[in-house]
Amino acid sequence: MAKSDITAAKKAPFVRFVKREGMKKRTVALYYICAVAAALLIGAVILACIGVNVFDYFGKMLTVGIAGSALPLRQIENYLNSFVPLVITTIGLSLAFKMKFWNIGGEGQFIVGAIVSSAIAFGCPDLPAWFLLLLMFFGGGICAGLYGLITAIFKVKFGTSETLLTLMLNYVALYFLAFLGNTQGEWNIFLNPESVRPIFGKFGENAVMPVIPLGGFSLNITVIVAILIVVLVWLYYGKTKHGYELLVVGDSPNTARYAGMNVGKIILRTVFFSAFLVGLAGAFRVSSMGTLSESVTNDVGWTGVVVAWLAKLNPFGILLVSALINVLQIGSQAAATSYMQIDANFADLLQGIILFIVLACDFFIRFRVIIRGREEKPKNEGKAEKEEG
Amino acid sequence: MKKILALGLAATLSAAGVAAFAGCGAEDEFVVGAIYINSQTDTAGYTYAHHNGITKAMEQLKLDAKTQLKIVDNVAEDTETVKKAVDTLVGQGADIVFGISFGYIDALEEKATEYKDIAFSHATGYKSNDKNFNNYFGRIYQARYLAGVVSGLKAKALDANASSYNLGYVSAYTTEYAETCSGINAYALGVQSILGDSVTVKVKKLGEWGNETNEKAYAEDLLTNHGCNIIAQHCDSAQPQIAAAAANKFGCGYNSDMTKDAPKGHLTAPIWNWDVYYNKAISAAKKNFDEYKAQGGNKADYMGKYVETVGGNYYGGLKEGFVDISALNAATVTEDAQKYVDAVKALIVAGTWDVFSGKALTYTVGENGAITVTPVDSVLTKNDNTPAGAVTDAVITGSMDYLVKGVTEV
Amino acid sequence: MSNETYAIQLNNITKTFGSVVANKNVNLSLKQGEILALLGENGSGKTTLMNMLSGIYQPDAGSITVNGEPVFIHSPEDSKRLGIGMIHQHFKLVDVYSAADNIWMGMPAVKYGLKEKLSAEKGNAGETFSVKSKRFFKKAGIVFRAAFFRISNAFLKKKRYAEIGEICKRFGFEIDPAKKVYNMAVSEKQTVEIVKVLLFGAKIIILDEPTAVLTVQEIEKLFAVLRRMKEEGHSVIIITHKLNEVKAISDRVAIMRKGEYITTVNTAETTEQELTDLMVGRKVDLNIERPVTDFDRPLLEIRDLTVKNDEGANAIDGVNFYIRGGEILGVAGIAGCGQKELCEAIAGLRKIESGVIAHKGENIVGLSPDKIIEKGISMSFIPEDRLGMGLAPSMSVTDNMMLKNYRERKYRVPFLKLKEGNEGKKSFRLKRGFVGFANKAIAAFNASCPIVDRKKARASAEQIIRDLEIVTPSSETPVRRLSGGNVQKVLLGREMLTQPNVVVTAYPVRGLDINSSYAIYRILNEQKQNGVGILFVGEDLDVLLALCDKIMVLCHGKLMGVVHAHKTSKEQLGLMMTGSLDLSGEAKMGFAKDSVLEEAQHG
Repeated sequence: MAKSDITAAKKAPFVRFVKREGMKKRTVALYYICAVAAALLIGAVILACIGVNVFDYFGKMLTVGIAGSALPLRQIENYLNSFVPLVITTIGLSLAFKMKFWNIGGEGQFIVGAIVSSAIAFGCPDLPAWFLLLLMFFGGGICAGLYGLITAIFKVKFGTSETLLTLMLNYVALYFLAFLGNTQGEWNIFLNPESVRPIFGKFGENAVMPVIPLGGFSLNITVIVAILIVVLVWLYYGKTKHGYELLVVGDSPNTARYAGMNVGKIILRTVFFSAFLVGLAGAFRVSSMGTLSESVTNDVGWTGVVVAWLAKLNPFGILLVSALINVLQIGSQAAATSYMQIDANFADLLQGIILFIVLACDFFIRFRVIIRGREEKPKNEGKAEKEEG
Repeated sequence: MKKILALGLAATLSAAGVAAFAGCGAEDEFVVGAIYINSQTDTAGYTYAHHNGITKAMEQLKLDAKTQLKIVDNVAEDTETVKKAVDTLVGQGADIVFGISFGYIDALEEKATEYKDIAFSHATGYKSNDKNFNNYFGRIYQARYLAGVVSGLKAKALDANASSYNLGYVSAYTTEYAETCSGINAYALGVQSILGDSVTVKVKKLGEWGNETNEKAYAEDLLTNHGCNIIAQHCDSAQPQIAAAAANKFGCGYNSDMTKDAPKGHLTAPIWNWDVYYNKAISAAKKNFDEYKAQGGNKADYMGKYVETVGGNYYGGLKEGFVDISALNAATVTEDAQKYVDAVKALIVAGTWDVFSGKALTYTVGENGAITVTPVDSVLTKNDNTPAGAVTDAVITGSMDYLVKGVTEV
Repeated sequence: MSNETYAIQLNNITKTFGSVVANKNVNLSLKQGEILALLGENGSGKTTLMNMLSGIYQPDAGSITVNGEPVFIHSPEDSKRLGIGMIHQHFKLVDVYSAADNIWMGMPAVKYGLKEKLSAEKGNAGETFSVKSKRFFKKAGIVFRAAFFRISNAFLKKKRYAEIGEICKRFGFEIDPAKKVYNMAVSEKQTVEIVKVLLFGAKIIILDEPTAVLTVQEIEKLFAVLRRMKEEGHSVIIITHKLNEVKAISDRVAIMRKGEYITTVNTAETTEQELTDLMVGRKVDLNIERPVTDFDRPLLEIRDLTVKNDEGANAIDGVNFYIRGGEILGVAGIAGCGQKELCEAIAGLRKIESGVIAHKGENIVGLSPDKIIEKGISMSFIPEDRLGMGLAPSMSVTDNMMLKNYRERKYRVPFLKLKEGNEGKKSFRLKRGFVGFANKAIAAFNASCPIVDRKKARASAEQIIRDLEIVTPSSETPVRRLSGGNVQKVLLGREMLTQPNVVVTAYPVRGLDINSSYAIYRILNEQKQNGVGILFVGEDLDVLLALCDKIMVLCHGKLMGVVHAHKTSKEQLGLMMTGSLDLSGEAKMGFAKDSVLEEAQHG
């Protein structure tokens, strides 16, 4: 045995990560606040470097552009309009995530919901408004649910990876939408027949989501529906047999089978609900816009994955995190208008930095870092556990 | 330590909020808003051309682009997104809003009805109202005709005795849009005015905007498989010109002077001088705005006169200097090209002749090399040998959907 | 004694996993050339401690000394280089390779002396080009030859097999080098593992519960091998929780309890009772009760049952037996002889190829698991990781309580009633028809209630926490935060709560400390006295002999016979488990084949 081999084994690794549990909620909150502060600080340095008034920029960004706007109420309406699809989509995705079914097909399901409800809106514009709207929502939702079900069936029958399949189906839906948006023809009811160039047409009045006027502010009904959905899903997890089954399957499929649950059925059902909600978000979106568009998703299918993760799949957490992320997205645009050196990409970059730091913070909340030579004595962590209970 | 950090953070945030609210007082200035399809920091391309035009016009009008120009960029052609962008701009105090991409059309129309006190102007579209919403575009086909003349001269110079000439044309679309097919037709007519019936303009359609790879590949196909010596284009990048130069052939670019991209191949390019229109539109809106500031009252009453002030929808051409061709590349064009161009341009600017007027041009070379141009009666024929009939402005801007004789799609 | 260098010394080793402290300030020393038994209940941290020696884990704090040198062991490779070899509970062999190939695969390249030869050819600074180039070619030649030998060895099986056979003999093992691993008995596989470790030049051998999978006879053979290794100067650590083995093989015993090191005693100077008391931490009564009952109705009858395992081979092959109410039928067999598949078949979780499972005379083959649960058949299988089946680890004790009866909550809409009288009239018949139909609808409506009853589940959770003395912060704590014993109590407690009439339980005391084990035995005996029929799949023959009324022995899915526990011995069971003794033909006990159930009671 060579001598050098032993000495090679003498050093402990420089950095190690140890999982930790049982942190106090207050400490966790403080960590997140510090992370956001650090992110803003880094953003401030970058902004200052390219000659931007940092206070003005952040002031506009964090107030969603309401500060200094001539139309603050309109800004709030716009904020809510992009908030609703994000919340509903994320809630939908989280249903599947809770079951450890990695549905990253939010984009595709959203698009299917949007296309189908648009087809209904364009196809039968003369139905009574309430009936047409319900038809659009359920049509969009159910078709998106079936679209999601494709993956679930393959998963249950053949054990295929749902991650890959949902990902691929995103692109199928996306390109189909692009095809609809670019191909003129007699059959294409989606396009505006008056336009020489192919552009999507406008819905009839009956297909547009009604709003509740509150003075100068018009509250889109979907805002209320979205909050209702959050509460319902929370109840679904906590109070219903279906929700209970979902949680057991997510935790341990073997145990579920052992308890006599039909695991395949539960997976199919849950994925259908998951995709249904995402599709419903799509239907709400087109109905609120009064038209279809190629960028209808506004990337909520992707953002939703991040939001669901940051919110730890908790329905009310999702409500909160969506609200915050949406502040970043809408606020960035408002803040960037005044600065010629900041284009939308740079605003995205700033958003990215903030998100990245918060995610990094999340990592440090889950893991403890041990640096060689500075090992802490393990605390009596059993104590913290008891306190939690 | 952590508490101090948290306190510090809270202080920073509230300070930021206060600063922001404090900043919202300056309502008196005239503010220009713009919605771009691509990034405002681009250094070439469509958005760059418009951004350049707006800032140039503002400079001419002594407006400070740093404080009086608000931009939302990377806005997709999605009505909801565009509406939101308009809201943001209006929220930030914009008094005139420009939308540069076709797909913004519905959103701008809607918002023009909603915000009667703001002027709206939409590029490449066809919608407008008689108060605060107009559209603007230009007679780029006139510039393309000139490019055709330059190309014809070059083709003749390359092989004076050829029995037939092939020229290539890489186009995003063809008969789908009046904009593209009028451009192709004008270019073909320009070439034919020099070379007569022996010309075939071979068009390859991309079917999309902004695909550099195919723009290059299609040009190369025209050069190698279709015997084309000159490549014109109606697409975004300089790739066709670069491909032509690489094959020791020639071409006409588009949108910007592409001589810098292909110094040995580029002849000239039809270009837009967007600042010409932006100057007109901004000064019109500012005039309405200033009247409102001076006389007070309902702002919508003043801004509602915008369309009247600016003179309705704008459709500028060579005459207005809105479109032109870039400076001829002395290294590639024939010596007499400038004289031909000047002569034809003079006719158009004078208003005595236009490309689709039904008359063809004939050239006479004087003894001292001077060129005389004479319009002669002729029949505009489609490439299926049926007569095209009268070509009015409505046809050029909206309904043209054919290619003229001598043009083939390959 | 104080100047002696120890083979291994562990000083104040601490290792935590999340909030679980697996080892806390452990000190342990292994002398040169001794056999040290590491004694402790399952979950006391023995395996974790040894895994730090074999480089699988790294300690959070503390230091390790090997032969007097302080070391850090980052990886299994480090451990190998230090001369430590560990034989894990689960063998790390490639099934489709022969013994020799498995051994050869792991042989280090250094064996060919490549590194040494190359370093001998180090050049000097002032060499001419020709010398340099010559040296280059020489080096290339060395590398080439080494590669050639290695590759040619890969093809020249005969030579290699002979070589490895030779090595085995030198160590005193009898192995057929050409025998494929999948054809080997467990003890043979273990031998291959030992040879592998020795061939690496390991001086310190660690065996993790090597006897758990062996029969009595095989254990004797293994001990002989260990003694010979000791004579050759190897140091051995053997992990076990069986006291008789400790007495038989070790020189000294180190005792651990709940992650902490207790003491080390000389084997010769101690008794089993003392060791148990040290291991458990207090006085323990080692007797298991076997109450006598007089229920004797056969509850569950199995006829000609054949079940396939996941690979499609017959896991249970034509097995016949029955369980009476008020009796515990033990199932003995070496690991993987079909116990798991048997349990799953009864619970309806595995497809039954052929045969009959009759519950109270009714065939339940083909029923879905929830229907079988409704019949009162409870199955609890504790797998190696303890949480895999039967519990949802991230969910709370309460949520786990309602796993099997969450469907029961109904709307309590009362059924319609019919007034007596006028039975003969037509209008009455009509009314009766309507009421019958309405009541069916109400029943369906009641059953469709989508809400779960957590209140009831919480009450049950609190009851079993109280009754079974489960240590948990609250009934809302996720089960995975509980310790192993408490987890199992939750599982068994829930099963008992459903008031089953047949209990199928596999390894219910797996990983439990002695006290908890006895609590579980007590629960099972209570159930037995209530007339419940119990199928008890166990590992420890001593426990089976003490607890069960009858014991059936399985070997490769075949029934070797059913014997009365008080009439048999460990040796007899051992022989049956390996298939050397087949009593299935003669001993009729426990058979109910082709008989009416009632007649079979005394068969």
